[in-house]
Amino acid sequence: MSAPTKRHVPLLLGYGKSKASIRGKSNTVTLNLTSMIDMFTILVVFLLKSYNADGQIVSVSAEMMLPESRAVQPVSLNLEVTITASAILVDGDPVVAVNETILSEGNPIPELVNRLVDHLEYTRQVRGTTDGEEMKVNIMGDVAIPAILLQRVMSSCAQAGYATQNLTVIKVEGGYSDGAT
Amino acid sequence: MLPVMNLFCVIIPFLLLSASFLEIAIIEMAPTEGISTSGAGTTSLARSEEDLLQPKVIVTDTELFLGTVFGSKHVSYVYMEIRDGVEVPSYDWQALNTELAGFREQLEEAFPTIPVSKITILTVDDIRYDNIVRIIDVCADNGFDQPGLQVAAYDVLQRQMAAQAAAQGGGTP
Repeated sequence: MSAPTKRHVPLLLGYGKSKASIRGKSNTVTLNLTSMIDMFTILVVFLLKSYNADGQIVSVSAEMMLPESRAVQPVSLNLEVTITASAILVDGDPVVAVNETILSEGNPIPELVNRLVDHLEYTRQVRGTTDGEEMKVNIMGDVAIPAILLQRVMSSCAQAGYATQNLTVIKVEGGYSDGAT
Repeated sequence: MLPVMNLFCVIIPFLLLSASFLEIAIIEMAPTEGISTSGAGTTSLARSEEDLLQPKVIVTDTELFLGTVFGSKHVSYVYMEIRDGVEVPSYDWQALNTELAGFREQLEEAFPTIPVSKITILTVDDIRYDNIVRIIDVCADNGFDQPGLQVAAYDVLQRQMAAQAAAQGGGTP
């Protein structure tokens, strides 16, 4: 490969530089802080609005979509029963697989009742007693699960001794994401 | 300007870490007695006045009804709508809102001393969960903020509605 000719050298060195710097004059580039601070101020206001001091106490799995609701009651830390299209989980552990048999009956699910009773007994042994807070359960269900599955889980919770059942939903302000009000 | 920039450079990562862009809430359900598929629902003899007055939103695969102490009313037929890119059955929530508001007015005129906040959502077994949650929202907008859920097979539901209409003496199921 041949060396660049004299005609090419000044052009290569001057790439991306102003004509003044090529001529040897100093040209200090300064950062415009005013516009950057304007941008940061907007960003800080937006983030302050989304700030949550409570932290995230509910983790939603990627394969599940919670329904939207205008409910305003904040979520509390309770036992979580998750209902997906394929399984029912208690505190993240799969307990029952969802199949045709589960969907065709209307009574409490024995495996789920046993698991919930065990959990309640464990809580009773650890804490010595169970007050109202331990008797609550949060039910997280996918938007597409049928009513019979939800009802079977709710009746299983009731039979196991969890008197208060909360449905976990995504809070929306005003209308739903599909435009309904 | 530089100290302000330093402050921003510290505060923005902190706020980014603690920001929550998805807000979770809960709906507290009232304990209800489920109806078995055989239709052998249990009935308490010592039902309170509120229990006797509480309305039922009855949801089938084709229609939405409101069953109240004043009679049963057809509210809406099912229609298909696109929700999150999927075609799903839906109902006329505005019509349900209007019917519930009307029932609330009737209730306050006829029984002003009895506060009614319980409502039962009686559905067939394959109604989608998000439709149930939307019914709960509409009920809560009209002061019925203690929803209960009952699920029945379609034929059981038909018998329930017929029995309710007969008990009310001429309501249209």
